Amino acid sequence: MTSVPKKSKVRRSLLQRYAAAPHIAWAILFIIAPLIFVAYYAFTDTVDGSVVFSIENLKTFFTPTYLKIFSRSVGLALISTVICLLLGYPIAYFISRTKPKTQRLLILLIMLPMWMNFIIRTYSISELIKDTGIINSFLGKIGIPQMHIYGKEGAVVLGMVYDYLPYMILPIYSVMAKLDYRLVEAAGDLGCNSFKVMTKVIFPLSRSGVISGITMVFVPSISTFYISQKLGGPSTLLIGDVIEQSYNASNYHLAAALSFVLMVILLIGLAVVNKYTDDDSGGMLI
Amino acid sequence: MKKLSKVYIALILIFLFAPIAVLIVFSFNSGSSTSVFKGFSLHWYAELFKNAAMLNALKNSLILAISSAAISTVIGTAAAFGIHHMKKKWLRRSVMTATNIPMMNPDIITGISLMFLFVFVGTLLGLQTKLSFWTMLIAHITFSLPYVILNVLPKFRQMDKSLPEAALDLGCTPLQSFFKVQLPAILPGVFTGMIMAFTMSLDDFVISYFTSGVDFQTLPILIYSMTKKDVKPTIYALSTIIFIVILVLLLITNRERTSEERLEAKRLREEKRLRSAIAKSQKTGKPMRVKRVSESSIEVSHGRSMNLTKIIAVVCILAIIISTCLVFSVFSKRTITLNVYNWGEYISDGAEGSYDTNAEFEKYCRDELGMNVKVNYNTFSSNEDLYAKLSSNAVSYDVIIPSDYMIARLASEGYLQELDFNNIPNYEKSITDDFRGLYYDPENKYSVPYTYGMIGVIYDASRVSEDDTGSWDLMWNEKYSGQIVQYNNSRDAFGTAFYKNSWDVNTTDKSVWDKALAELQQQKPLLKKLVMDEIYNMMETGEAMIGSYYAGDYLTMLDNQADNVDLQFYYPENTNLFVDAMCIPTCAQNKTLAEEYINFMLSDDTAIANAEYICYASPHANVYNSEIYQEDMGEDAISILYPEDFDFHEKYDANCYKDLPPEMKEYLNALWIKFATE
Repeated sequence: MTSVPKKSKVRRSLLQRYAAAPHIAWAILFIIAPLIFVAYYAFTDTVDGSVVFSIENLKTFFTPTYLKIFSRSVGLALISTVICLLLGYPIAYFISRTKPKTQRLLILLIMLPMWMNFIIRTYSISELIKDTGIINSFLGKIGIPQMHIYGKEGAVVLGMVYDYLPYMILPIYSVMAKLDYRLVEAAGDLGCNSFKVMTKVIFPLSRSGVISGITMVFVPSISTFYISQKLGGPSTLLIGDVIEQSYNASNYHLAAALSFVLMVILLIGLAVVNKYTDDDSGGMLI
Repeated sequence: MKKLSKVYIALILIFLFAPIAVLIVFSFNSGSSTSVFKGFSLHWYAELFKNAAMLNALKNSLILAISSAAISTVIGTAAAFGIHHMKKKWLRRSVMTATNIPMMNPDIITGISLMFLFVFVGTLLGLQTKLSFWTMLIAHITFSLPYVILNVLPKFRQMDKSLPEAALDLGCTPLQSFFKVQLPAILPGVFTGMIMAFTMSLDDFVISYFTSGVDFQTLPILIYSMTKKDVKPTIYALSTIIFIVILVLLLITNRERTSEERLEAKRLREEKRLRSAIAKSQKTGKPMRVKRVSESSIEVSHGRSMNLTKIIAVVCILAIIISTCLVFSVFSKRTITLNVYNWGEYISDGAEGSYDTNAEFEKYCRDELGMNVKVNYNTFSSNEDLYAKLSSNAVSYDVIIPSDYMIARLASEGYLQELDFNNIPNYEKSITDDFRGLYYDPENKYSVPYTYGMIGVIYDASRVSEDDTGSWDLMWNEKYSGQIVQYNNSRDAFGTAFYKNSWDVNTTDKSVWDKALAELQQQKPLLKKLVMDEIYNMMETGEAMIGSYYAGDYLTMLDNQADNVDLQFYYPENTNLFVDAMCIPTCAQNKTLAEEYINFMLSDDTAIANAEYICYASPHANVYNSEIYQEDMGEDAISILYPEDFDFHEKYDANCYKDLPPEMKEYLNALWIKFATE
């Protein structure tokens, strides 16, 4: 009688032990190995047809020209992230305060644009904001001065905010929805004014959602190349554009070197951010 | 406050949906513009269902999304199960970290890193085609896996630990306990994960961009290459249909959930009533009376998981069918695929009732040669694009159409095969001496000319004064600041500065290139945008006033210009002449058929149809001499394309681009990056 559960315990642990094996193999082959290749290409160069060790391409990143591109990318991505946060936080809060049925409908509406192809949406924005675009021809008709942002940095920021705003709203909302509202009431009863309730109770409790929202907006913003190509102009080149250009110019070593440095900087950034969030469940998307 | 929040939510929703509304409205445009609404029509929906390339891309996207979602759901669910039961903390943590990498890393890096791996392994295995459907499938599974795991893992954590143990105690095998007890409990997570994997795959552009081969183009990639050109409302029509399908699906699931929730609430109410009844009966000592205990809630939750099982099963079966078909199609090569790589908008493709070159060739092969041939037609947007694809050794093409200087480069680097002119009898009949023995192919071994032409300046005469035109100076004229567009391509952009100053465009004197950079930097504040084929749209709508492009493209723009735009064209004193020619790269898998294709392109009917469609000058003698062609094009167009008293050979040698030596190419690249940043 006693031997049966024991036996099953051994067999059970076998299944449990190997269930993750295909995934681990997959991750090693297709997540870890490719990154090693990025490092390999970043630290080498092709000279007369043979591959030699070289840090020339890595050095390129730290020349004034590329540092300028990089700081522009960081700047625009930061601005977009802040705007997304300022726009997204209140709406996440408002939605979480509505009736459950309304909540679901609103969240569905926020997510709906994400299901549309982002290239065609970005293209559609360019049709809206061009100098001869829909908004400007409308403004022209009713005699209001037109806005000329197409081809400028403002247009790139607009594109980033538009494309990634849902990525900010959803994680914040998912934390807010779980927030125990009695805490807010208690704070109110204990004499906090609404501003204090916001800063002392609601904001700290929603921090994990805010942080994953920030990462989910910042990372794609800093590495985008389509948005700047489509909405930007001659002086809005971003680091993603340069990587794509060097890939297209068959300069794999440079593309790898730029990707490698970008990745290392982002990983350090993320590690720092994660240090300040102990909540490992996070507010990951939905 | 309440009102304010409602207004705010409404404003954000308007912001999120404005571009989508634009897209839906313009899909019903009777005109071909995506910014000027002419009237209501279903014309573009009809065009959509005739557009084989788009429907094929949609099919490919669905195949890829279903297969990758199914596979990643299976691997990911098993992985979540395994990770949940991992005893060693370090192991669990490192597996989770590795899993999260594709989510945390920018897509562009994930894409590039996978491309490196595929090309490297492909080279090791000696594969001719290194990027294909399979590499895309691997890439899509890789970035979908984290979403599945992150959705399933919490469900394992929430599950009552005693449940699987109870199942085992009651005599289930571990597998049985997994399928009968645990799986139903985690199913909602599996379902959400699968849906996310599906939508991520369907929408992914960046990673696909780096890992896709030639013979499998998905919708986002096709849309990307289309938005580089003139976008037709056909894409809008397709997007509108997709939008409506998704909206309906989401509303249905939402309604189902709402009704479930209602039942759940009912169950809770009943439970409460039950409890209070128990409490009451305990207090009073009377036997408790409960009207009715509903069991519907239990049934519902069970029913839902049954539904999910069904959906997941259907998806898995579909995926198995699709992959079997694919494997089958790989092994039974009954149709021969001919991969053709050409510039965008550079062949008569059957749009709006025109001659469909590739379909005609397929028909020709079927009727005359008794072969089942499928032409797989892909486009590039610059010679450098083409070179990147070829030199990555990742893809294989049978016919390519590069420009002169790129032909010289490809030939010298051993990327081109010598043609067998016995298989191209039309060559002798149609290509005159003018187009033979040009510098890029002095012995006529590698190429058959397809088009030629000159670069000129295009301007909107309704806003640009006639007095300012005539030379390259127009593109540096401060009067038109913010209205000028320049090439988004180093060679052509630098070319304008060289021709403006009558410098030799092929010089290896770096100081001249530096001077050209200074010219471009001086021009930069005046520029609106760097463009390639986007110039069509910008000039046609009046978004830009001045730009330089190819004469043939000017004629196309003329046909599509907006009512308030009056496009004019001239050749400045010095300008670029080019020849684009058909070649067969060394990676070609079907040389004879490729030669057959080139020969077909040279047949009179095809050559005339193409020359009329793309509006470039044709080196084909029978095209220029054809009365129909002269009549269809009209005198004005002919005089632009074929200027009188024009010695092509002489002009060409003086003004064409030649292949620069490697160190000059590198120097040019550095200058270009400098131009783009400063």
